[in-house]
This record gives sequence, C-alpha cells and structure tokens, in this order.
Amino acid sequence: MKRVRGAIASILILAGAAGNAVAQPKDTIVLGVSVPLSGAAASWGIGTDWAAQQAAKRINETGGIKVGDKTYKVEVRSVDNKYTAGDAMKTAETLISRDGVRIITQSVGTAPAKAIQALTEREGILMFTSAWGRSVKGPKFPMTFTIINTPDEVLAPIYATVKQRHPEAKTVLLLNPNDASGQDTAKDSKKYWEAAGIKVIDSLFFERSTTEFQPIATKIGAQKPDIVDLGGTPPANAGTVLKELNVQGWKGIKVIGAGTGSDVLVRTGGAAADGTYMGLAADFDGPTATEVQRNLNAEAKKVLKESLNVIHMGGYDGVMAAKAGIEAAGSLDTKKIAEVLPKTIFETSYGKSTFGSKAVYGSPQQLLIPIVVTQIQNGKTVEVVRILPDELKQRLAK
Amino acid sequence: MDLVAQIVINTLQIGSVYVLFALGLTLIFGVMKIVNFAHGEFFALAALVVASLMPILAASLGLPHWADFLIALTAATGAVIVLGTLTYWIGFERYLRDLVGSFILSVGLILFLQGVLVEVFTATPRPIEPIVPGTITILGGRITIQRLLVLGLAVAFTAILYMLLQKTKLGKALRAVAEDREAAMLQGIRYRRISFYGWLIGVVMAGLAGALIAPLTVSQPAIGGDYLIKAFIIIIIGGLGSIPGAIFGALLVAFIESLFGYFYDLTMATIVMFVLVMIFLLVRPQGLMGHVER
Repeated sequence: MKRVRGAIASILILAGAAGNAVAQPKDTIVLGVSVPLSGAAASWGIGTDWAAQQAAKRINETGGIKVGDKTYKVEVRSVDNKYTAGDAMKTAETLISRDGVRIITQSVGTAPAKAIQALTEREGILMFTSAWGRSVKGPKFPMTFTIINTPDEVLAPIYATVKQRHPEAKTVLLLNPNDASGQDTAKDSKKYWEAAGIKVIDSLFFERSTTEFQPIATKIGAQKPDIVDLGGTPPANAGTVLKELNVQGWKGIKVIGAGTGSDVLVRTGGAAADGTYMGLAADFDGPTATEVQRNLNAEAKKVLKESLNVIHMGGYDGVMAAKAGIEAAGSLDTKKIAEVLPKTIFETSYGKSTFGSKAVYGSPQQLLIPIVVTQIQNGKTVEVVRILPDELKQRLAK
Repeated sequence: MDLVAQIVINTLQIGSVYVLFALGLTLIFGVMKIVNFAHGEFFALAALVVASLMPILAASLGLPHWADFLIALTAATGAVIVLGTLTYWIGFERYLRDLVGSFILSVGLILFLQGVLVEVFTATPRPIEPIVPGTITILGGRITIQRLLVLGLAVAFTAILYMLLQKTKLGKALRAVAEDREAAMLQGIRYRRISFYGWLIGVVMAGLAGALIAPLTVSQPAIGGDYLIKAFIIIIIGGLGSIPGAIFGALLVAFIESLFGYFYDLTMATIVMFVLVMIFLLVRPQGLMGHVER
C-alpha cells in the first residue's frame, strides 16, 4: 500500500512539476508557430521563427496587445514540424494541449498545415498559414487564414512574365515534392501554364528525403523542355537539381513558382541558379521594400546570415494579424477574432493590408499583399514585376 | 547524350558512396554481430564537419580548394574516430553480439546524436563550393570532374579496405572473428580489441562517405537517414556481413535508382528496391553472398 501511495505521490509531484513547467503568466498570450526547423526545408522554418520572434518583441516593446482595459504581452513558441504531416500533427498537439496555444500564427507547408487544420478547425483554434495549396482555404475552414500569396495570386503573373520575356518557349516540365504540397502545386501549375499557352510535357515528383538527383536530371534533360518549373521544391533541393541539369547540358528557362529562398538557392546551385524566376522571393533591400522589411532584412542578414523571403515575412505578419484580430474583436475568443479579421485593416510588413479574395476562395481568407516576381541575376534577387491586388486598392481607398 | 552511358555513369557515381556507407555497416555486423542504426549519424557528422570547415579554411588559409578539402576530410575522419571511440566504450562494448540491446542503444543514439548535431551545426542546409569545377563527357555520358574525383576516391578507399582485410594481420583477425568467434579466440585473437577495431573501421567508412558527399550535396543533420535505408536494402540483397555482397548490392541499388528514376520516377525505383528486398527475405534471406547462420 505504501508503495502504491508512494507511486501516486510521485506521479502527482511529476504532474505538478510538468504543470509548473508550462504554466503561463496570466498577462501573456502564447502564440504557436509550426515550421520545419530541420531538413531540406529548414531555411524556411528558421527564418520564419526568427521573424515571428521579432514581431513579438516589437509588440511587447510598443505596449503589448490591448483587450479592453487589459494589456497582454506576447510570447512565440515554435515547434519543428519537419515539413511532414505526422510531425506537424504531433507538435501542434503539444502546442495546444501543453502550452495552451489558441492561435497558431504561422504553419509552413501544405501537408503540415492540412494535418494541423484537422485539429485547429475542430478545436476552434485560429491558424495563419503560408500553405501554398488551395485546399486549405474555403468556407469549410473558417479558422484558417493564408498570409502569403498562393498559386491563384502568383502563378498567372509569373508565367505571364516568363511568356512575355521568352516568347519562343513552348513547353514546360514540372518537378515537385511527392506530397500534398507538391501535388497541389503541380495541379495548379499545370492549369496556369496551359492558360498561358505553354504545353506541359511531363510532371515529375521526388521524395523529400531524396539526396541524389542525377536520375531525375537525366530524365528532364532528355525531354528537352523549354522551361523547367520546380514549383514547390525547397531551395536547397532546387539548387541541387539546377546544378545537375547544368551537368546534363540543359540550358533552358528556370522557374520556381513557389520559389523563395534565393540565398540558399544561389549557394546550392551556384551559377546554375542564375536567371531563375521566382514567385515568392522578394528583394527586401530594394526600393519597393517597406522600412519594416528593410530593417528586418538587415537584422536577419546579421543574425541568420541569410536574406528574408516571403515565407519568412509571413512569420512576422502572422503575429501582427493575431494582434490586430484580438484588438479588433476586443476578446481572446478565437471565433470572434476570425469573424472580425476580414473587416479589419491592419499594419503588416508590407504596409496596410486586410484579408480578402472571397470571389476566388468562397470566403475572405487570403491576406492581400503585393505580388512580386523576381529573378536571380548575377547571384542577386532582382524584382521584375510588382502588382498590388485591386481588392486591396479598393479597400484602402474606402 | 548517350542514354546507356549516362545511366552507367549515374550508377557508378551514386553507387560509389553507397558502397562506402554499406561496407561500414556490414563490417560492423560481421565482426560485432550488431546492427548499427546510428550509422547515418557518423555519416552526417563527417559531412557537416567538411561543409562547416571548408568555407572557414577557404577564408583563412588561402590554400587551393583541394588542400582545404583534404584538411577538412582529415578533421572529419578525426571527429568520427573520437565519436566512434566514445560510443563504443560507453555503449556498444557492453552489447557485443546482442542484437536487441544494440538495437535499443543505437536507436537511442540516433535521437541523441541528431539533437547534438542540430545544436552544434544548426539545421540550416550547408552547401559548399565545388572543389574542382567543370564537366566532362565520357562515351556520351556527362559527369562533373568533382563527381569523378569522388568516384576515384571511393574506389581507392574500398580497395584499401579490401587489401586491409585480405593482406594484413588485422584483416585476417577481423575475418576470423566474423567467421567463427570461438575458433578465433582459441587461436589467441583478442575478440574485444578486434571488435573495437572493426567498429572504428566501420564508422570511419561511413565518415569517409559523408566527407566525400559533402561537396556534392547539401549537408544537414538528417542527411544520413536516406543512406541508412538504402544501406539496409544493400546489405539484405548482398548478404549481411559480406564485403563483396555490399559492393555488389550497392551497385545494384544505384543501378535500379538510375534506371527506374529515368524511365519512371524515383518513387518507383524505391518501390522496386523494397519488392526486391521482400523477395530476398522470402527466397534467400542470407542475401546473394551471405552465409546461413547455424
């Protein structure tokens, strides 16, 4: 009996200790971030985590989040979703049940976001995501908001730019990771390339754990496409593929529709990455960047040794959207926050913005920010096209 | 491009690293009768040391790239020897010829070493500049000079290991222990000492494979996972504990990857490999060149 009592006491002590370990001060709102912090997609996650921490720091330094007469501090907790659905689900459960998170301000990757969504929509937890796939949006998912541009915003402008600059191009070959993110991207890319009048000659997939890309490069090279679109391929893998394509003697037009990390791409692909068009990379040092973006980028280059990209910036904007939503709702009730968000105009790293695109997705869940097409020129990311969404112009003019 | 030549070249360049990786794994099993599931972490450590040191050496010493690589390769091998020695003394020495104990130990070691590698090197992918630039064409197939260099080094390391096993006293002792431990001990061979040497040679082979792949790929702490799975396929096909089996299995797996990767896709190549493994496990569980355990 003594032993049983001893065991129960030990369990209670341990439970108490565990409880203490996660106990939150009542004046702090804990925001969750689910990103890949290891593996080939780590460069997306590390920068996103850093940008989210910077947003929290900025909010705390400028008075916190005000709900009625109460002021809250913000804390960001990031978990490694390893860019897989399984790990995303596991770590999201940790965030929600252990850390008491009610708002996930950024989840990177369509497959991880879809896995988390099953939990967040059921539990009424608000999720901001940079998931590229269209399948995470729509009236069925009222608690999910996308904070970066996605295929329906980006692909038509980037493909039109490529078509206009290379009128001789007639064929394209698609290469994507073999998961929900990659398959969604391939479907959208095919639709928009065909709409642009370019024939899709093949659509290939690779497992995310792939390290040897020569067989794929040999296959691509043999088909001699005018354009190769690496869609949602992470920058480290994309650089390796471009290098191998160069070895095969292929010298066509390189496009990465969901291309983000130009620094990693250039470091990995070297000269083979030059000329690549990207839909999600931005020149946050350039003249069109805002002061917030320029400052964040300068700091990131010192700390992370890498420029920020659009996904990273989503980490900052997710936290800012959460703040705006909580303050507009005057409550921590996530359902109320989700209701007021599309009606709220708030400060993002791009300047004033709001959620919209009901006409496209059936509900206003898409952050309206500039669409930027960039190209790698002599190892640098250069902006070639910038489009401000019409809906945002109209909303801001009101 | 000549397709046959290109597939052969792809097979050789992919297979060369698989050979080194699988040789280490099979040697450790042959001598110690344990399966080292943490083999990929030794591979990752060496790749990360090379990928981290190369830029520092290039910026500080001003030596030619190949000299920087040789220094980094030596440092990586040193790091693997230190880690190998520590893991053997602290853990594996107690689990010689204990498949269950060593399985639990090596799986735990994967989690521990992954955490350490992420802490020390961060999870950021680390690409490095090519050691030797340029591409050449052989019989219509294209290959970078750097890949050719790595292929040559892999062949050299495999040949050295083969000579060591065939011609030296240590090699004979290692083979004797792998063949029949009791009989070897009756001949005066000190089993624990030979096991330690076998373990060190095995992890150094993984380290050499990692160091050689670093300039060709993007190194990050999880890089060893894919190679470990391939190595298991290789040694099941070739025969657990068989050196020629590991070489043949590695080249076969690389050929399947190159052929099916070209005509179908890499996912199909992986499916074919697993089907082959299932067939071997059902029909010839000792593999092509392994021995039946009695």
